[in-house]
Amino acid sequence: MTSPRQDNGTTRDDLVQRLELMETMIAEGRKSTARFGWIFVMWGIIYFVAMGWVVLLPFKQWAWPVCVSIGILVGIVRVRHNRVDGVGKNQRSRSIEAVWQAMCIAIILYVIAAGVSGHGNQSAYYAAVFFFVGLAHGISARILRWRAQGLVAFIWWGCGAALFFFKTQNEVVAIFLAAAFFGMILFGLYVMRLERKRAAALVQHHA
Amino acid sequence: MANPEPDSNAEDGTTRDDLVQRLELMEQMIAEGRQTTMRCGWIFVLWGLVDLAGMGWQQRPHHTQWAWPICLGVGVLATVAGLALRRRPPSRPRATQCRDVQAVWSMMGLAMIIYVFTAQFTHFAWQYGYISALLIIIGLAHAISAVILRWPVQGVVAAIWWAGAVAILVCNSYRATDLIFLIEMCFGMIAFGLYVMLLERNSGVKGKLV
Repeated sequence: MTSPRQDNGTTRDDLVQRLELMETMIAEGRKSTARFGWIFVMWGIIYFVAMGWVVLLPFKQWAWPVCVSIGILVGIVRVRHNRVDGVGKNQRSRSIEAVWQAMCIAIILYVIAAGVSGHGNQSAYYAAVFFFVGLAHGISARILRWRAQGLVAFIWWGCGAALFFFKTQNEVVAIFLAAAFFGMILFGLYVMRLERKRAAALVQHHA
Repeated sequence: MANPEPDSNAEDGTTRDDLVQRLELMEQMIAEGRQTTMRCGWIFVLWGLVDLAGMGWQQRPHHTQWAWPICLGVGVLATVAGLALRRRPPSRPRATQCRDVQAVWSMMGLAMIIYVFTAQFTHFAWQYGYISALLIIIGLAHAISAVILRWPVQGVVAAIWWAGAVAILVCNSYRATDLIFLIEMCFGMIAFGLYVMLLERNSGVKGKLV
């Protein structure tokens, strides 16, 4: 097809190429999230284990520091391993990476500062952590145009807002576990399934 | 260039020209993304002033409990009106970075609205954890935007917001909180907004000269 010039000097072919590039980037961005599905599952399980430790086992004060440290270590090792494997990156996957890295730094700063200063038992504190995680999901969903992840963002925000209304320990624990199950484990399993399907389709295509 | 072939084709068949084109496109996209932020410099200034007005109103001896809801409502309306007035013509496609940065700020706005509304409604807006979280959320948006646009200045602004959030929790006093909030609004909002507006004006003048 011929490519007549438009008013601003952009040809139709340019636009089509750019659109195709963007679609490829969105697909690759989703793939990169799918590759990290295990992280969501792992953190969901870590939350459950830490909560279980706090409720059932001795040395409760060590539950969160130990579980979170193990999670961070495993995460770093696995992510480095993936990098060594030479997984490709594009602008969209870089943006998604930026979102999650910034979210991690923000949460670590906030949690440490609140813990050290003795504000770690406020409703606004618990809710804020939920809102940070939801925000990362929300931005990622908007960038990747991914409704399933948008839903997960609203689950986190909904649970965060609920923490302002329900204040007893049992209620807080129940909300926390619900968010961890639906917003972490289920979503992680869903993206892992997507990744497995994609890998199977790729193998079939090559065969 | 006239040698698209073996000069530097890799295993996947990518030529050197392809790579150069791709790099140029990326640089162009980053520049467009920064321009998007520059065009929205007025929003930072506006929200800096809105927050300062809310804070000033709250400091008055017989202030109404509607001080913050009114100021925030006016801010939201002014932002929507300003965005509607400055809307770009739809014919021009936007770069990936523009969309990503827009996604960051729109979601930040949505999260902020839900968080602030719920905290105000349930009367938890007095907690230090709440005020600190607001600063963390704004810093988070700046940090992500800075990484996407590879913009060190915005990275510094993110660090200023996060430092303020930590300081509010550590200082543990309302007087210090007010002072930190004032500093954040002056530097993180108004000064940054004026800086990007200045950048936009400079780039506009350069564009006209070219």
